[in-house]
Parts: sequence; C-alpha cells; structure tokens
Amino acid sequence: MTQLQDSSGDIPPRRQLRTKPFSRADRVFYGVTKGASSISIILVSAILLFLFSQSFSTFQTQGLDFITGSQWNNTKGEEVFQIGPMLWGSVLISILGIIGGVPMAIAAAYFIEFMAPKSIAKVATVLIDLLAAMPSIVIGLWGLYVLTPVVSHWSELLYTMHHVELGFASFDIPLLSMANGKDPNTFGGTPFIAGWIVAVMIVPIITSVTREIFSQMDRDLINSALALGGSRSSVFMRVILPTASGGVTGGVLLGLGRALGETVAIFYVLNLVSDINWFNILESKGGSIASLVLQKFGEGTSEEVKALMAAGLVLFVITLLVNWLAAVIVNRAQPWRKI
Amino acid sequence: MSELDLSALPRPKSQPWQVRNPKNTWLIAAASVLPMVLAVIITLVASIDPTVATILVFLPLQIIATVSVGQYIYGKKGRGDAILVIFTIFFSTLVGVLLVSVMFSVVVNGIRAMSPQFISQNNVYISPTTSLAYGGVGHAVLGTVLIVGLTTLFTIPLGILIAVYLTETRGRMRSTVRTLVQAMSGLPSVVSGLFIFALLISPNFGNATGFTQQAGWVGSIALFPLMLPTVARIAEEALRLVPQELRNGAYALGAPAFKAFWQVTLPAARSGLITAALLGVARIIGETAPLILTTAPANNTNLNVFEGSIATLPTYLYSYISQAQATSQQRAWGAALVILILVFVLFSLARVLGSAKSTKAKKRK
Amino acid sequence: MENIATSASHLRSEDVNVWFGERHVLKNVSLNFPGNQVTALIGPSGCGKSTFLRTLNRMHELIPSAGFAGRVLLDDKDIYGAEVDPVDVRLNIGMVFQKPNPFPTMSIRENVLSGLKLTGRRGYVAEEVVETSLRRASIWSEVKDRLNDPALSLSGGQQQRLCIARSLAMNPEVLLMDEPCSALDPGSTRRIEETITELSDSMTIVIVTHNMQQAQRVSHQTAFFLSEDGNPGRVVEFGKTDDVFNNPVDPRTNDYVNGHFG
Repeated sequence: MTQLQDSSGDIPPRRQLRTKPFSRADRVFYGVTKGASSISIILVSAILLFLFSQSFSTFQTQGLDFITGSQWNNTKGEEVFQIGPMLWGSVLISILGIIGGVPMAIAAAYFIEFMAPKSIAKVATVLIDLLAAMPSIVIGLWGLYVLTPVVSHWSELLYTMHHVELGFASFDIPLLSMANGKDPNTFGGTPFIAGWIVAVMIVPIITSVTREIFSQMDRDLINSALALGGSRSSVFMRVILPTASGGVTGGVLLGLGRALGETVAIFYVLNLVSDINWFNILESKGGSIASLVLQKFGEGTSEEVKALMAAGLVLFVITLLVNWLAAVIVNRAQPWRKI
Repeated sequence: MSELDLSALPRPKSQPWQVRNPKNTWLIAAASVLPMVLAVIITLVASIDPTVATILVFLPLQIIATVSVGQYIYGKKGRGDAILVIFTIFFSTLVGVLLVSVMFSVVVNGIRAMSPQFISQNNVYISPTTSLAYGGVGHAVLGTVLIVGLTTLFTIPLGILIAVYLTETRGRMRSTVRTLVQAMSGLPSVVSGLFIFALLISPNFGNATGFTQQAGWVGSIALFPLMLPTVARIAEEALRLVPQELRNGAYALGAPAFKAFWQVTLPAARSGLITAALLGVARIIGETAPLILTTAPANNTNLNVFEGSIATLPTYLYSYISQAQATSQQRAWGAALVILILVFVLFSLARVLGSAKSTKAKKRK
Repeated sequence: MENIATSASHLRSEDVNVWFGERHVLKNVSLNFPGNQVTALIGPSGCGKSTFLRTLNRMHELIPSAGFAGRVLLDDKDIYGAEVDPVDVRLNIGMVFQKPNPFPTMSIRENVLSGLKLTGRRGYVAEEVVETSLRRASIWSEVKDRLNDPALSLSGGQQQRLCIARSLAMNPEVLLMDEPCSALDPGSTRRIEETITELSDSMTIVIVTHNMQQAQRVSHQTAFFLSEDGNPGRVVEFGKTDDVFNNPVDPRTNDYVNGHFG
C-alpha cells in the first residue's frame, strides 16, 4: 500500500549552512587566495592614498587654479603649478582620437563580421589583436617618422581652407585656424597629429570589442530582418547598431581610458606648451597630463614632483571613472562575460 | 475577426531572378573600376594633390557610380546599401592602411639595422654617429628579460591566485576584488611609474636620500600593477571555462576544495593559464614610461637587477628615438623590430595554446 | 572482495525544505531509504527531485544562495550537524551525475583511483581497486587492455560506467544517481541498470529518473514529486514501486505514471 505524503505541516526553521572549510589544507588554500586578492585592494588604495597624501599640499597651495590655471613655474619661492592646458589637452586629443577612431573601428568590425570572406576576416582579426598589444613606444616611433609628415601635409591642406570668403562676409573657421591669426611655419606637434596617434591606438580595442558583440548577435534576428525585405543598410541602422550600441559605447570608453593615460606615443608627436589651446587643432601647441609627467619628473624639484603626483592623481581618477563606466556598460551589454 | 482584408498592401514588385543578370555583373564591375581610373586620370592631368584627389575626386565619383548602379539594379533599397558598402570599405581600408603601415615601417626600417651583432652586442663606445656595424641591443634584451622576468616571477602566481579566489571560492570580497582589478587595468602606466618613483626613489619623501637608487628591481615593481590585471582577468576566464561538472565530480568523491582544485581544475585549465601568463608578459614587454622613471639607462651589459643602471629595449628605443643622426634612428627602428618580434612570438604561442584548448573543449562535447 | 560490506546504511530525510534565494523549491520532504534498497525519484521536470538528491550528500550547498531546513539522517546521525564536515559526508554518500564527467586530464586508471588520491587515502592496492571497481561497474572487460588511455577516448556510455566505477572505488554506503542514463543509448542504459541491480546487494541507492520503465525495472520503492502552480515541490506519493505504478492512491500519480502529463 502506498502512502500519500502530507507536507502541509509546519516548515522547520532554516539551518545555517557552514561555508567555512573544516580541513586545514582548505583553510590555508582559501587563506592564501584571499591574501593574494587583498593585495589588489591594498595596492589600489595605496596608490590612491599615497598620491593624495603627497599631492595634498599642492592642492592646498594651488587651490582650484591647479585644474583651471595654465602656468607652470618651478623657480624656488615663486612656484606655480597649474595643469589646465594639460588636462584640456588630454581631453581634446582623446576626443579627436575618438572622432577619428570610432567610424574606422565600427566599419572594420562590420567588414570583418558581415562582409569579408572567412580567410580575410581571420587574418584581419589576428592583425588587429596583435596591434592592440603593440607597445605604445613603437607607435610613437612610427608616429614621429611616418605619420607626422603625412598628417602635417594634410594639416597644411586643411589650413588653406580656414579662411572663408563669401561675397558679403568673410570669417575664419576656428577649428582650422591659428590663435590670434598666428602664421604657421610648422604643422608638426599639433593636437591633430596626436589625435591621429590616439585613433590608431584605440581602433584595435574598439574594433575587437565591437566585433565580438557583432559576432554574438543573433544571426536569426539579422536574417529575419533581411527576409522581411530589409536592405543591408536598414538592417545595419535599425537592427545591428541599436542592438550593439551599448557594447560599442563601452568599447569606446575602454579606448578613451587608454587614450587619456597614453604617454610615450603622444610625448613624441605633441609639442607640450603650458598655454591652453582650446580648439586650434592645427596649431603646434597642445597638452597631455601623462606626457607632462614624463617631461618634468627628471629635473623636478620636490614641490614640482608633488605637483606631478597631483596631476597623476587627477589623471588616475578620471581614467578610473571612465573605466568604471565602461565596465558597467560592457557588462550590461555582454552579460555572458560575467556570471 | 470575421473578414480579413488580404489586399491591404500591394505585393512588393521584386524580381529576385533578375539580380544575377549578366548585364548587372558588368555594371557592378564598371562601378567598381571606373571611378578609380577616372580619378587617377584627373589627378594626373590636373596634377592635384593625391590626398585632395582621394577626398574630393575619387570618393564623390565612387559614391555617384555605386549609388546609381545600386539604384538601377535594386531600386531604392540599393541606394542605402551602396552608401553603407562604400563607407565600410573606405574606413576599413583606412584602418588596414594605418595598421599595415605600422607593421611595414617597423619591419622594413628595422631590418636595415638588424644583424647578428645588433642582437648580441651592447652599447658601450657607441656614439650617435657610430656605424651600424658596431653595437646593438644585446644588453637591452638581457635587461628586458631580467626585469620582465622578475615581474613575471611574482605577478603570475599572484594573478592566478586572484583568479582562483574569484572563481573557486565564495569569498565575500569577490566583487570588490573584481572591481579593483578592473580599476587597476585603467591605471596609466606613467602614474604607476610615478608612484613607485616617489615611493622608493625620490629623495623628497620620507628619508633624505630616497629608499633606493634607480635599479632594475624598482622597474619590475613599477610594471607589477600593469601586468597583474591582465593575468588575473585572462586566468579568471580560463578557470571559468572549466566545466562546473568536473569540480562537482571531485566534490562528490569527497575531495576537499584544495585537492579538487589542484588535481582536477588546475590541470584542466592549464593551457588557459599559460595563455594568461604569455599575454601578461606581452602586455608589459614594451612598457616604457614606468621604466624611464624607475631605471637608469646603461650602455654596458648589467646582469644585476638589484643594483646599478640597466638598459631595456623600450628605454634603449626611447633614448635613440629623437636623435637627429640617421644611424641612431635606425637603431631605434631596430629595437622596435626586436620588441615587435618578441610580442609576436608571445602572441603566437598564446594563440596556438588557445586554439589547442578550444579543440579539446569541442572534443569533450 | 572481502572488504565490500553486504549490509548498507539506511538514509532518512525529515521535513527537508530547500530555497534558492527567496524561492521556496522543496517543501517538507520526508522519505525513508532502507539499506540495500533502490529508491526511484520520479516526477515532471522542475519538481525539485534532483535538488532533493543533492541535499542528501550536501552537494546542494555548493550553489550560492542555497537555503536548507530539516534533517537528513545517515544511520540516525544528522549529516547537517554543526560538527559534520560536508567533505566527510560525501565520502560515505557517493554521487553519479546526469552527464558523464570523467576527469579529462586523467587516464582510465587514474580516473578510477582519483577519489582515493583526492581524499588522500593510503594503504590500498591500486591494481585491486581498479579491477574490482571496474568489474562492479561492468566495464572491466571493455577497458582492461587500455587502462592508460585517456578517459575521454571512451564512448558516452562507457564514460558513465567509468564514473560509476570512480564512485565505487570509494566504497560508499549510499550511491546517489541523478538521471544517469538520460544521455545514453539503450544498450548502455541496459548495462547500467544491470549494474544498479547488482550494486544494491552492497549499498543503498537513490536514483532520479524520467524513464518510467527504468524506475519499474530497477527500484524497490518509488517517490513521486510534484510542483504545482508555482508552489514548492513536494512528494505526492511514496511506496513500493509496484503499488505506485499499478495501484496509486493519488489520481495525479496515476496520470503521471500513465503518461498523461509531464
């Protein structure tokens, strides 16, 4: 005879499930991994705390002008340290790099994933991954001797268009002209060139993130859109881009994080001047916090090194924010990356 | 829903069988070739600058040609497609040209400097004008191997342990650790160098002389925060790829966590962990800014990472990059080629291991 | 083979409740698994029978957010007691999974011995353990000439019997089997069923299965699990296999075993 089960009775209280291991080997094992992991916590907080404690006096003496002002003087007794032009320069170069890099990266990802034959796509993927691993000093070398002459030439051509003459009025296009109508004798060392360098450095990153997102996209979705009579372009604009936009934005931010912290490559192709250059991208005058550190640390006085640490702290905090935002967006767009 | 009007929309007037019309094939071919030929002729005849010609002559011609052919063959939807295709190919070509240009110039310029003695000799008695027949990067290769090797020695175990903590334990700090590792990957390399420089070398903090002089090991430490996140992230992915069923199989036999990890999970993830190590090394092998701040450049061969000035490939390249003399610039290209080769070798090894792993995983299914 | 016990322990669950996070998935399951008996757990997918099986050797708590209430008694001793190491529980209560999971980096021989190695057991004769375990899992004749081949070179059915042999090498009191034949062909299934019948001479077996015929062929008693309308899963009917299949009390049991739903 079978019995019917009565489970309508009271539910017993929940029991504590022990999560700590019993054996000593396991305790040591967990302890060691936990210790190693706390190193990451210690390291990041140590960097932040140390930079902050060392640069505190700079923030105190320079005040808000440290961020907004544009003087740099290390003479003893009359020290002024202000990173306005460098901060803005880093941002400007990164914006230029993204304007140039994003269309290139999306096009390349689209080409690899949806247009190219398998064999070409494979080679292109390897090439792009390899370039993502290219040390920035090699890019700097190439930028100095190969890219600079070419882009200088482009700059010269662009500069010829800076003055617009209409019948009734004439004006300068701010982006393409020089501050105070200064006449150019060189087109090297401009934010325009540095922007190109940044574009070259972030294209592989954005391409590989974008390509990965494209490749994970539901082929059925695309095929059904095509089956409904959609054209390639409408599928791209209405299906592919909206679906992938989150991940692509994350990839762009990852690239931006790298662009902001880029040091040696920009150091060689940019003329660092401690005078703010808002939008005259063809003028041989620009700024970059990371390059500033490299330029000044060697002969730096103690006050100056502190100021550099303050600059480094500002840079780190900005890249932290950008990377954090990128991680949030990428993780939301690509849930399979994380469990 | 008694009556359904099936004639609400006219049927689309597409005729798919006409797409492969041979006439259309000729049109497409013409649209692909003619603008280029036309643009070259115009450029040569009017002697316009090639850049200007590309943007102002070739591109408009190409757009007109492709769009009209697309319109003719496919109707309205052909127009949009034509523009999409042109822009994709234009920008992809631009990417290709830039990326190939980087490789090409490093290889072509670097090979001129390359010779057995360039790899083996050091930089003593070499002036900026010395012929390329003398001197080389031997000391810098050794320095890079030593400094990167020292970093690797303590970063790989730590990185893997962090990955183990993230995947194999149920520790409470996991999300914090993951966030911080991610944060660390955004640390600008120059800030890492500056941090170690100020902490250990600069005489301005703590004691009057600084804790130590610039030396190889200080460089190794400055590279640590840059390598750690790469190793930890890739190792975490490798451990995640080990199926949970294997761990469960070990636990069900009564294995303690440590043994299950050591004898089951670790061997299954081995190739992925080696990949993590290789890509970690590739990440820092060309890192320049931290080494400029923390090591002193040397011309002689120094095998002691714990004392004295020591050369590395990136700092060697850094010192020659902006010299005016042609031979010095060629030395820089030569060093760049050596770095490129090292990165390429590390990368290929990682790829070979990675693909071996994925075929094994397929077999298991 | 003198060290193989012929009388096995009995296992009992009392008011077992399971939560995943705040979701209550099993309610007050009380079952008795007498020694040397085979008990089949049947029921539609998602009724919590596999989850219940995992509570019997404390594999359940490896899932984060898992909650538990009630008691599981092995020979009247609570395996969830505060001083009980889950690792030791799993030494006595082995488990075979739905998908064969031999360790891919080990050979056939190493797989059989893996449990002993993983638990640091000493004082055994490796050759004897390998042969005995493989024989009891009825796979010895197929693999005896290729013991050093990688485990993944075996077919799916052989891999599953290797996994059974791996558990048997530990000589557990109780063997839990979670749909061990669901990924296998009919031939392998039949061989594993024979193995189960032979094994019940020396151990207590609990098997989750979707296959009604299999439950009737191998088990002495059967428990029918059901989870209705989002309510937590529970046992509707429990008793001798013959009675559950041929003379069920609850109409839902009757519908299920006759294939009317699930």
